[in-house]
Amino acid sequence: MPSLDLSASLRNSVNRIKKITIKIPSEIKQLKKVSSGILEALSSYNVDEAKLFDIKLCIEEAVRNAIVHGNRCDKSLTVKIDYWVEDDKFALEVEDQGSGFDHTLVPDPTSGENILRNSGRGVYLIKRLMDKVEYNQTGNKVRMVKRLK
Amino acid sequence: MPVKTELKNGLTVCHIDGEIDINTAPDVKKGFDKLISKKEPKIVVNLSKVTYVDSSGLATLVEILKNMRSYGGRLRLTNLSPKIKSLFEITKLEKLFEILSDEEEAISTFV
Repeated sequence: MPSLDLSASLRNSVNRIKKITIKIPSEIKQLKKVSSGILEALSSYNVDEAKLFDIKLCIEEAVRNAIVHGNRCDKSLTVKIDYWVEDDKFALEVEDQGSGFDHTLVPDPTSGENILRNSGRGVYLIKRLMDKVEYNQTGNKVRMVKRLK
Repeated sequence: MPVKTELKNGLTVCHIDGEIDINTAPDVKKGFDKLISKKEPKIVVNLSKVTYVDSSGLATLVEILKNMRSYGGRLRLTNLSPKIKSLFEITKLEKLFEILSDEEEAISTFV
């Protein structure tokens, strides 16, 4: 497995991080390693705390969904995470090896009948906190973008 | 244990420290299980030391609220950081919870 120590040496200019790929086994304990590694790589961008909070949350929600719902915690399956920064925009892709899901069918967790339910909030938060969110047709890969400035 | 409990003016006040996320949420829930099993009627939860909440953390707080409501109990959350308060607003959980700006106010007006 590649190192999660994603240091500034991977950055080839002040405004850019080249695409970096991480593959992890489907284990929840990987979540913090992934998010802290990516936040470390963003540390020299002077991103405000609120945006970093959103980015951390969306990384962890997306990777968690990939592990739990996509790969159903099967440790033999991996989650692939790509991220990069270009033009002061942070982009993240998370892909699992599951059969995918239709994000448009996830019930709105803010509606009265769902507000007490425990599912759907992760997908909803990603949509609300990121500037752009797209799923592939299969529904096993999400791409999200957040402006850093 | 991420939940510390004390009695103030006859009310149970809980303090949670650190992150409430997929890793810590089970321990947070466990911290409230005893209070809920005793049917504690009113609980104030001070979140001033909570730096991060994810969807598992939100779900756990909803679970605690549901469990308290099942016996008529009431829960108040206080001292949320602006970022965490915004999560409650975005998810509309602010309508579900009683959220107050500070602990003293939550205690003194908890009738």
